[in-house]
Amino acid sequence: MSDNATSLSASKSTISRRQFTAATAAGALAASLPLRSARAATPLKLGVLLPRSGHLALIGQACQRGAEIGLPMLRDMGYSVELMNADTESNPDVGRTQAEKLIREGANMLMGCFDSATTLAVAGVAEQKGVPFVVNIASEPKLTEQGFKYVFRNFPSAGMLGKGGLLLYKDIFAATGVTPKTAVLLHINDSFGMAMLGGINALMPKLDMPFTIVETIAYDPKARDLSIEVSKAKAAKADLVMTVTRLNDAILLVREMVKQQVETMGIISPGAPGMYDKQFFKALGKYAEYCTTNVPWFDPTQDMAKTLEKTFEKAFPEESCDLNVGFTFEAVLIAADAHKRAGSNDPQALSAEAKPVFPMPPFKGRT
Amino acid sequence: MSLLHDRRAQLLLGLLALMALVPLAAGDYLLSILITVLIQAYLGMSWNVMMGFAGQFSLGHALYVGLGAYAGGALFVHYGTPPWIGAIAGMAVSVLAGTVIGTLGFRFKVMGVYFALLTIAFAEFTRVLFDHWGWVGASSGLFLPPAANASADNLWLLRGSATMFYYVALGMTVAAFWFSRALLMRRIGYYWQAIREDQDAADALGIDVFRTKMIAVLISAAMTSLGGVFLAFFNNNLYPESIFSMHRSIELILGTIIGGIGTLFGPILGAVVLTALGEGLTILGAHIGIDGVKQIAYGICLMLILILKPGGLWPWLRSRLGLAGGTR
Repeated sequence: MSDNATSLSASKSTISRRQFTAATAAGALAASLPLRSARAATPLKLGVLLPRSGHLALIGQACQRGAEIGLPMLRDMGYSVELMNADTESNPDVGRTQAEKLIREGANMLMGCFDSATTLAVAGVAEQKGVPFVVNIASEPKLTEQGFKYVFRNFPSAGMLGKGGLLLYKDIFAATGVTPKTAVLLHINDSFGMAMLGGINALMPKLDMPFTIVETIAYDPKARDLSIEVSKAKAAKADLVMTVTRLNDAILLVREMVKQQVETMGIISPGAPGMYDKQFFKALGKYAEYCTTNVPWFDPTQDMAKTLEKTFEKAFPEESCDLNVGFTFEAVLIAADAHKRAGSNDPQALSAEAKPVFPMPPFKGRT
Repeated sequence: MSLLHDRRAQLLLGLLALMALVPLAAGDYLLSILITVLIQAYLGMSWNVMMGFAGQFSLGHALYVGLGAYAGGALFVHYGTPPWIGAIAGMAVSVLAGTVIGTLGFRFKVMGVYFALLTIAFAEFTRVLFDHWGWVGASSGLFLPPAANASADNLWLLRGSATMFYYVALGMTVAAFWFSRALLMRRIGYYWQAIREDQDAADALGIDVFRTKMIAVLISAAMTSLGGVFLAFFNNNLYPESIFSMHRSIELILGTIIGGIGTLFGPILGAVVLTALGEGLTILGAHIGIDGVKQIAYGICLMLILILKPGGLWPWLRSRLGLAGGTR
């Protein structure tokens, strides 16, 4: 018999109140350990809300691929996640009811929703129900300025996107040895475009950019004809064209610039969708090569990013592993990691741990 | 015949009692769907006053939804004005907009599809205006602050649980139903129907066509804007591109068209059918696992309903239930 056993045995005969309390506490702790471990072994039920149909369907489906492609990787890393998928139909009202449905069906956490309006609607539900909600992509600054307790965002806000994008301009100028003196800014006038405009206007003087914006032209992202906007941009005779776009208008814009033979040093977006999308390259062919966009991207030198890209290319050879895929994968990873560290599916515990503690398959600016 | 012996009244009271008890058994998901049904029915009834009763085709009713929503929302955000006070401002602005549209349309004999185009034009340029109006957040949107305590219901400030919103929506729908019924049974209701059936004949009989049609537009605008206030406080965020959109205008009238234009129950039945169809197809689409299949099936179902029951579902159901004869 070991010494420990002897002492334990001895203590039985002369147990004091303090020892009893300590033993009870130790017993309770020991009893709780298997329970805690059992709870941690219960997979996280993650409600995934994405616009897989409607006008944002292409992007929503790309995000969905990002959520699903990483599951085997996460399993190998010791995470335990089950996805509960729901289509928001690019409609905030549908997003809200689907969020309620997922919670009713047992979702421990929510993730989504790409567009800010739906994300805000779902945030309201998450807040009311006390269910943690990880935002995969949505840049509206107010999302994290509303005082929500259960909403976590990994994606940069519009201001951060603008700053990161503008700083990369200097790198481009240094690499090419060409520095423009003037620029014209063409931007969409929806919530994202206006937030970006505000960020760019505020940051231009602070970042001491080497060029000035001589003309700012706003347009409707649903526009079918941008000939007047491009004519105005051409008339400004600026060295550089800056763009804040969505996908369809980005294609329209570049086509019109080719048609009107706009001569410029370059077309560079400070951070917006459109010019990195596969559809953009498919639609414009060689003309897509003359456009540059500065967006958050995964660091291709990281092991996790390499594995993700490899897995993605194998599963979807026709699609591109872009930021929609990457940030959605990352959001799932954040949720899974919160669950692992919390050791339970309790919303409070998950909320306490749902912080992006990673320098993750680290997303950083990429041109 | 007393109210209790009237089969139609019994049916209605039974339905109302059932609806009042729903929150006792339903979860928030079901409540959320029922709120959608009720608000769609309410907005459908609002549009029905103008189109169903008076025969004036509006395809831009999102204008009044948006004006009400922004008036209620912006006054609350900037001055803390309770939504019920904001609703008065919203209704006033909507009535003003309706006056301009009605005057332009009716004075210059803009009728039928051309009048519909006029209403679309107003909704669209109001959207563009709000897209650039900084005080209401422009295209970046207007966000209503969330309630400090989401579980505490505050009816005066419209901050609270799904159950509270459900009862508010139910109250608004019941009130709109009785109001529509009362209008139809009064002289103005008969004037509207006369104009709807044959404007020239109504004019020849001495009805002041301009004034009568204007009343329909103004009542419809005011009712619709109240629905907008509800939506603003329920959704907590407003974007011009969605609140004033053509899509919303169509969504708003679809239930009434499916249910039966010009009937009292039509907008309610249409809202129930459309929402049930939408939810059913969402579940089906999730099982099938093909994105967008819901929208295709939804479109096919709508076409089938319109081909098989061009007058709407309620007139057909009414005869099946043996409720014909005055039950609209």
